[in-house]
Amino acid sequence: MSLAAEAFVSQIAAAEPWPENATLYQPLKEDQILLSDCASSLAVQAYLRMCGLPVQVVCRANAEYMSPSGKIPFIHVGNQVVSELGPIVQFTKAKGHSLSDGLDDVQRAEMKAYMELVNNMLLTAELFIQWCDDATAAEISRPRYSSPYSWPLNNILAYQKQWEVRRKMNAIGWGGKTLEQVYEDVSQCCQALSQRLGTQPYFFSKQPTELDALVFGHLFTIITTRLTSGELAERIKGFSNLLSFCRRIEQTYFEDKSSST
Amino acid sequence: MGTVHAKSLDSIPMHGRDLTVHPDDLMEPPEQVNDSKQEILENKDVVVQHVNIQGLGRTKEDLLGYEISDVFHSKNLIDVMRKAHIARQRLLRLGIFKQVEVLIDTSEGTDALPNGLDVTFEVTEVKRLTGSYNTMVGNNEGSMVLGLKLPNTFGRAEKLTFQFSYGTKETSYGLSFFKPQPGNFERNLTLNLYKVTGQFPWSSLKETDKGMSAELNFPLGVTNHTLKWEGVWRELGCLARSASFAVREESGHSLKSALSHTVSIDSRNSAIFPSRGALLQINQELAGYTGGDASFLKEDFELQVNRRLFWDSVLSASLWGGMLYPIGGQSSSIADRFYLGGPTSVRGFGMYSIGPQSEGDYLGGEAYWAGGLHLYTPLPFRPGRGGFGDLFRTHFFLNAGNLCNLNYGDGPQAHLQKLAECIRWSYGAGIVLRLGNIARLELNYCVPMGVQSGDRICDGVQFGAGIRFL
Repeated sequence: MSLAAEAFVSQIAAAEPWPENATLYQPLKEDQILLSDCASSLAVQAYLRMCGLPVQVVCRANAEYMSPSGKIPFIHVGNQVVSELGPIVQFTKAKGHSLSDGLDDVQRAEMKAYMELVNNMLLTAELFIQWCDDATAAEISRPRYSSPYSWPLNNILAYQKQWEVRRKMNAIGWGGKTLEQVYEDVSQCCQALSQRLGTQPYFFSKQPTELDALVFGHLFTIITTRLTSGELAERIKGFSNLLSFCRRIEQTYFEDKSSST
Repeated sequence: MGTVHAKSLDSIPMHGRDLTVHPDDLMEPPEQVNDSKQEILENKDVVVQHVNIQGLGRTKEDLLGYEISDVFHSKNLIDVMRKAHIARQRLLRLGIFKQVEVLIDTSEGTDALPNGLDVTFEVTEVKRLTGSYNTMVGNNEGSMVLGLKLPNTFGRAEKLTFQFSYGTKETSYGLSFFKPQPGNFERNLTLNLYKVTGQFPWSSLKETDKGMSAELNFPLGVTNHTLKWEGVWRELGCLARSASFAVREESGHSLKSALSHTVSIDSRNSAIFPSRGALLQINQELAGYTGGDASFLKEDFELQVNRRLFWDSVLSASLWGGMLYPIGGQSSSIADRFYLGGPTSVRGFGMYSIGPQSEGDYLGGEAYWAGGLHLYTPLPFRPGRGGFGDLFRTHFFLNAGNLCNLNYGDGPQAHLQKLAECIRWSYGAGIVLRLGNIARLELNYCVPMGVQSGDRICDGVQFGAGIRFL
């Protein structure tokens, strides 16, 4: 968001307390949502639960187009519509809820760096596997993405999305990568996260932060989603502390519902 | 006997009612040497032996045979001239000739009868390709519009048109192919391929439609029917970040595949300032049974009755109404609903600013009716009479209407009741200017009444330009 827009949102947001009817929108869970969107949505849900803010999850087929930035998920709070984890964190901060207040500047910078790592590595890898791998795209991504629409619109939209993602991959230099290389990158990313986590319960000692929510969202979704090849999940399961980290957050914050996806 | 030339018009006439042959348009009686000869000409039997068309290039002759065949049935000279003139009008309405001249001469040659006549139509075909290029500036947007027209493409009065508009904000294009039935020009088929974008600030909505349609027109007795299939890929989006959530919920893609039928009966003597006659047009559209996401049944009608009163003034009454019935349980889309209000419907209210709304964005409604009563008079003191002044009229109007959503579970009594409560109405006076034969401009002073909370009014002076007015 631009600086002026941020200031505007903060001002308006600070005025009202968090309402009871806050809603989070995502694509249809059973038939439509894809791995990357599910991971982002779970990250936001985990973050809001960690803050103790109630939110209702609503599934809509056109959630991606409803979102002001085109990305899932987005929340509708009072009169405001905010999408993606970064702006949502700032939005809740303006309302007085924050998980990273206890961190000093060095730690905050470190947290931002790791969040960037997750976004650049894990999220990009998820998108790559979904749309650039032909087998996955044909068997899973395209049919799921186009399921709410009728012919021929379903084919048009699915291919349009695929071309868009492939163009983006080429632009950031991932176009030439093979699946093996992507799995390697994911492993390295998890290695870095695992080292940082060590034996602590959360990344920054005892209290969870938005980084924990983000990592949980992505790792948990990857482990519990069925893809054409289980290799990605296996690589993550190789890091036992990350596995127990996911389980811990699931039990602490999501114990009242069955596991997602 | 000498040759007789008929008058030739300068411009190629457009389709529509204006092509009907008015009695005063028929040719003048031919110059005669003296009056006694006129009697002889009327009584003399003639036989039309040959009817030729000269100047054909790519036009196929079998198409023209239908238009000129009537000339053969003439019995006397006056009849020949009349029928030849009608045939000339029919040739011109095909839109493929720039000019048609008629020559009537005595027949020559070995098989010439003493009272035989040859009728020759000398035609000039239109050019194979015409193009146009315009730039348009308006509404914070500039655009370049390129048009290409290929009249008489394959020789049987088909027409292929292409229009492309490239703007700073939006691009749109349209390709259209028109084919009439040879011998029955009023029965024709049109195929369209288009992409149009529209911005609707009253709903904070923008819409991009990409689609194709096939349309069949045919007359049946006094009525004119149109059958159309249309397949459209619609993309809706919010025009601004501040759009209401109800409009945001409608964003996304949908596919509409609809069959529609329109029947119209038009006995008015003009489209813009009719002084007598009536128009009745009923349109129905069924979407969803030929594929697509949108599924509904939509009906709407338009009725207009005109009557001339004392002193060249005309009283005109019009009634519009419509209903949208979603099928299959899903709710209707904002792009299918009806809108009401503005300088072209219920005057005195903002553009499409009547009815259900959310945070200032108008969502349209599933049922509506609107009525208008107008008194048109020439300008006071009739300045510019016979010329420019005839393009203007003053009018006094009374408009009323209502737009709402119906609860389809209730019976028709409840529906009528719902449409009858909260009627918005307005009255006022203004000046109307006629533009060509298609559009009109209005400048009115309006007083809106019956305003409900949520409606946006435009009391005082309101300006309107358009094609279809209540």
